Amino acid sequence: MTKKFDPTMVLDVRKLYKEFVLHTVDGRTVEALNGISLTVSAGEHVALAGTSGAGKSSLLKSIYRTYKPSSGEVWFQLLDGTFVDLVGLTDAELATLRGTQIGYVSQFLRAAPRRSTLDIVAKSGMQRGMDISTAREAAAVALKKLNLDEALWDVSASVLSGGEKQRINLAAGTISPPRLLLLDEPVSALDPSNREAALELIDTLTHQGVAVLAVFHDIEAMERLATRVVVLQHGVVSYEGKPQQTLAKLAGVAR
Amino acid sequence: MSPIITPEWVLKVDGLGKVFGPFTDESIAKTGSDRGTSKDPSTGSIVAAWDVSFEVAAGEALGVVGESGSGKSTVMRCIAGDQSTSVGSVHLRSIDGGNTNILNMSASARRQLRIDQIAVVYQDPAEGLDLRVTAGGNIAAPLTAAGLRNFGAIRHRASELLSRTEVPLNRMDDVVRSFSGGMRQRVQLAKALANRPPIVLLDEPTTGLDASVAAGVLDLIRGLLEEFGLAAVVVSHDFSVIEMLTTRCIVMNHGRVVESALTDQLLEDPHHPYSQKLVSAARS
Repeated sequence: MTKKFDPTMVLDVRKLYKEFVLHTVDGRTVEALNGISLTVSAGEHVALAGTSGAGKSSLLKSIYRTYKPSSGEVWFQLLDGTFVDLVGLTDAELATLRGTQIGYVSQFLRAAPRRSTLDIVAKSGMQRGMDISTAREAAAVALKKLNLDEALWDVSASVLSGGEKQRINLAAGTISPPRLLLLDEPVSALDPSNREAALELIDTLTHQGVAVLAVFHDIEAMERLATRVVVLQHGVVSYEGKPQQTLAKLAGVAR
Repeated sequence: MSPIITPEWVLKVDGLGKVFGPFTDESIAKTGSDRGTSKDPSTGSIVAAWDVSFEVAAGEALGVVGESGSGKSTVMRCIAGDQSTSVGSVHLRSIDGGNTNILNMSASARRQLRIDQIAVVYQDPAEGLDLRVTAGGNIAAPLTAAGLRNFGAIRHRASELLSRTEVPLNRMDDVVRSFSGGMRQRVQLAKALANRPPIVLLDEPTTGLDASVAAGVLDLIRGLLEEFGLAAVVVSHDFSVIEMLTTRCIVMNHGRVVESALTDQLLEDPHHPYSQKLVSAARS
């Protein structure tokens, strides 16, 4: 292999395209990503900005491979320093990475219903190689950090509020820091004080060296957490830079 | 070699095919998803499944989805040995280190596998249980088949299994026919786990149950798969079952595998026209 990689990079996306072919609608095609290239290094928090439909969530899903990219490469640096192209991995290989090195937290909880809060979070820890008692302890710590009332820990997650579910989701996604954390509006349903705790947690992870690629709809969260902002438009990178200038430019364009 | 170490398979199915009736290369060419039929027009033979391959690791559940008649239950029955197989191979890690094609084993050796290697949970409990016999008696059958002779030990193990699958112990000596559908499935699960097999095949395990009962049985199955680290094949047309139990899936249509994918990818970004139709029908 002759490809060159910067060893500080955790994620190196190259010319990623995603096109949906809708066979149920006479084979109509919908383009979501039109050749996105971007990198995220360890300890960097890259915030994706842009209007809805610009491709922010599609990019996260295409990296995590909930969407299967049409073409392009998604290089990911493994713990041992080797780079693998996530696009070309087998399903079983990807499932293994998801359980251990790549975390994805969306705004919706996708856990089995009728399962207790602590269980969901602990299970995620066990996937990352913790034994059951360590996982339960770590789950308790994670839930405490996010101020989730202890009375709710043994309650089935399906009966909880949107904000409570989001915190379970975040706790599960961060119980054992992954190498790469993909965040899609993870705090959208949280009230100010809980939102603050969640942002604090994400910030801490970044400082611990996790590579974070995130979508937040509020500018404030981006200003606070991002080390770099990448603005997407029509499925490509429009411009990028330091948070303050980039967000100011974005605000200017919006006006 | 890949730098990512994935868990080793415990069940490997390779090029499995089942045709009802005589068949030629032409029967295969004239059937399948592209042809829109599994029936060979010239011979009338049915190509129920063809070229089905997959691997399942311990602690992993693979989903097999498709409409009725797509061949998913045929695949399961071929692996279980309920049905003869026309072509292909099936390997179990626990048998000869995975080097033996179990399809070449004698009928009696195949039946032996069902005692402690491959457990099957059927949609219809009448297939997996003797309804005229008590719950305890049904579970005693595989235990005695595995060589357990002591009456007290058998009863003790049966009661352990029934309490794990949440069947009230005061029903242990009632005939299964007197049980509700959900309870019969719980007895089937207890029987399936009796000799701690590494592999379990589940064929529409909650289809036909009331929603609330199905939810309870599903929770139980999920718990058992995790607790025992089973390699599972889950055959279902119900995407909520597939989503809850599996990480990877294959989609079957007219006897062929038309798509294989991670379960979340199949649900959000199905590729094959048939998969798209199936997912959009389930999600609307």
